[in-house]
Amino acid sequence: MSLVFQSLVLGVLMGGLYALLAAGLTLYFGVMRVVMIAHSAFLVLAAYLAWTFTVHTGLDPMLSLLVTVPLFFALGVAVQRLLVARLRPATLTMMSVLLTFAVALVVEGLLGFVFSGTHRRIPLSYSGARLELFGASVALVKLIAFGLAVVTLAGLHVLLKVTRFGQALRATMQHREAARLLGVDTDRVAGFGFGLGLATAAVGGTALALDSTIYPSLHWHWIGPLMAIIVVGGLGSVAGAAVAALVLGVGQNLLQLPLGTTWAQTFFYAALFLTLILRPQGFFGGRLAQRF
Amino acid sequence: MDLARRMRIGALGAVAALLVGGCFGGRPAEGGSGGDGPIRIGVSLPLTGDFSEPGKGVQRGYEAWAKHVNENGGLLGRQVELTVLDDQSNADRVAADYERLINSDRVDLVFGPFSTRLVIPAAQVARDYGFLFVEPAGAAAEVFEQGFENLFYAAPAVAQDHYDHLAEAIIAMPEATRPRTAAYAAMDDPFAQGTANGLKEKLAEAGIRTVVDEVYPPNTTDFGSIAAKIADSRADVVVGGTQYQDAVNLIVALRQLGYQPKLAAFSTAPTNPEFPAAIGAQTEGILSPTGYTPEADYPSNNEFVDFYTREHNTAPTEDEANAWTTGQVVAAAVNAAGCADPSPECQRKLIDWLHGNEVQTVVGPLKWDAVGRPQGAHLIQQYVGGEIRIVLPADAEEAELVYPKPAW
Repeated sequence: MSLVFQSLVLGVLMGGLYALLAAGLTLYFGVMRVVMIAHSAFLVLAAYLAWTFTVHTGLDPMLSLLVTVPLFFALGVAVQRLLVARLRPATLTMMSVLLTFAVALVVEGLLGFVFSGTHRRIPLSYSGARLELFGASVALVKLIAFGLAVVTLAGLHVLLKVTRFGQALRATMQHREAARLLGVDTDRVAGFGFGLGLATAAVGGTALALDSTIYPSLHWHWIGPLMAIIVVGGLGSVAGAAVAALVLGVGQNLLQLPLGTTWAQTFFYAALFLTLILRPQGFFGGRLAQRF
Repeated sequence: MDLARRMRIGALGAVAALLVGGCFGGRPAEGGSGGDGPIRIGVSLPLTGDFSEPGKGVQRGYEAWAKHVNENGGLLGRQVELTVLDDQSNADRVAADYERLINSDRVDLVFGPFSTRLVIPAAQVARDYGFLFVEPAGAAAEVFEQGFENLFYAAPAVAQDHYDHLAEAIIAMPEATRPRTAAYAAMDDPFAQGTANGLKEKLAEAGIRTVVDEVYPPNTTDFGSIAAKIADSRADVVVGGTQYQDAVNLIVALRQLGYQPKLAAFSTAPTNPEFPAAIGAQTEGILSPTGYTPEADYPSNNEFVDFYTREHNTAPTEDEANAWTTGQVVAAAVNAAGCADPSPECQRKLIDWLHGNEVQTVVGPLKWDAVGRPQGAHLIQQYVGGEIRIVLPADAEEAELVYPKPAW
């Protein structure tokens, strides 16, 4: 019983991290129908920047967010303006897969060049620290990552629902031409939307680096599960992705008990196939994905 | 002529040049060199891709060995010359590389690549041409189940036997303190799994109960669930059949669950210099098998460590040592047989000599069974007082085995 409860706790914590890592992907797709294969490469880049920051300054990796979040926002705007915006609208979704695949390879290559292939881990005094919760252990680093996920996703939600920029972004998501007719500068909004997505990668990468060993090719392990999450959740829906991430994270952790690690890994893809067969628009996305 | 047109013609010219270069630019075959020319040794290594880090280590070892031989009068009075190709860690490519080395480059001898997955296809090619195949890194059981009689593994022990000294030490403990249960987690990789399985079989036979036995795919990065199972079992011993990141992530996940084993052993990772940087002070008491230590007091080892340290300003690791050992083994056969050419007669003489003799190397004296398994065991290291020291076997120990291990 205690093992099941422990796995449940681990699953919830992991689901939170998944939700944070996948948040950017839903934004890119929602705003511009862009499938961003390089998202996880940027997560690893942020993780390396956090590692470098801590190793050189001895300060907590969370402080690196002060630099990486604005940096990644600017980088996202640049990637959208200089690369993605040049793709022809008719073939945008397909071509964005190729383009961002290339970006992922470039980022990975640069990471290998600058940091070498050596596996790294941020040395943290509290890496093994834990709290007791009804007999289950909750690792402090996992709790911090979960907290970052909650804060970031809540911030994103408020930004999208309450601010004028959020309204413009949602209008652009829903109908680009109509938004333009109403005076929304959709090019600018698209750039900022992309920047926002990449800014979440800065937060996600730092959260990831708190509790994992990082290396340049790590991003290939992440992109598959993250893509599965946003399809199951409904392409373009931040809340849908968050719910899907929690469900898949908990499901995978619980399934590991009877099935072992190898078969539990297929859970994401089984969920992906079932979603595509039974409800191709995803469970929360609805209208947007149907059009795609 | 406008620019676009000029560029198009330029591109056409470049393509033509590449084609011609590809057809006729290859190195002219020099023919099986007997005589006084250099002895040419062909090798394919994973210099890029998954195994690039250890692959480069092996390359450094081979190059250091060749330089050392050449500075000391060569082999049979001839200089040695290495031809190194990059197989990109790809099993299809490694076979093609050895085809090329033997057939079109016409090398006199070949050395093996890195890792089980590449050694098997490469050894297949070498066997087809009757070549001697000494390899620095292919320790998994599969390597020796293919019926290769031209293959020799140039290291002290196969994966299954890496923990032999530890198994003996545990079994010899007095009943009262001896561990009763053990948990195993191994990567689904022939080498990593082989090390854990070897220890599991021996301990199970001695009555130490297996309470967790997990196998995970190589791409696993989250070890929360596996750690939860191990922690829940409260096993006295935890054994990881690991490479690198999996060991580090598993150890941290175990600590996060408050699990404290009496003994913890992991393959490969603890010998990596990055390991203490990742784990910190909690490395204390962690055990690991190793096939090599620069401190070992074999005569040729002192020479190797001095030479290598002079060249690279750092002591050699296991990868460099195994490569150097490969060179030593082939050189011993060549000196005894008095030949080094690709002819089947000469290669046969080399193979036969190695089947019947022992070779003194930097990892100690080596001899092999009929399919090339070395007949030794690995040293067991432990982090004691913040440093990694040899604790087993007793005749090689630098520090005493710490049991039970301190809390991590």
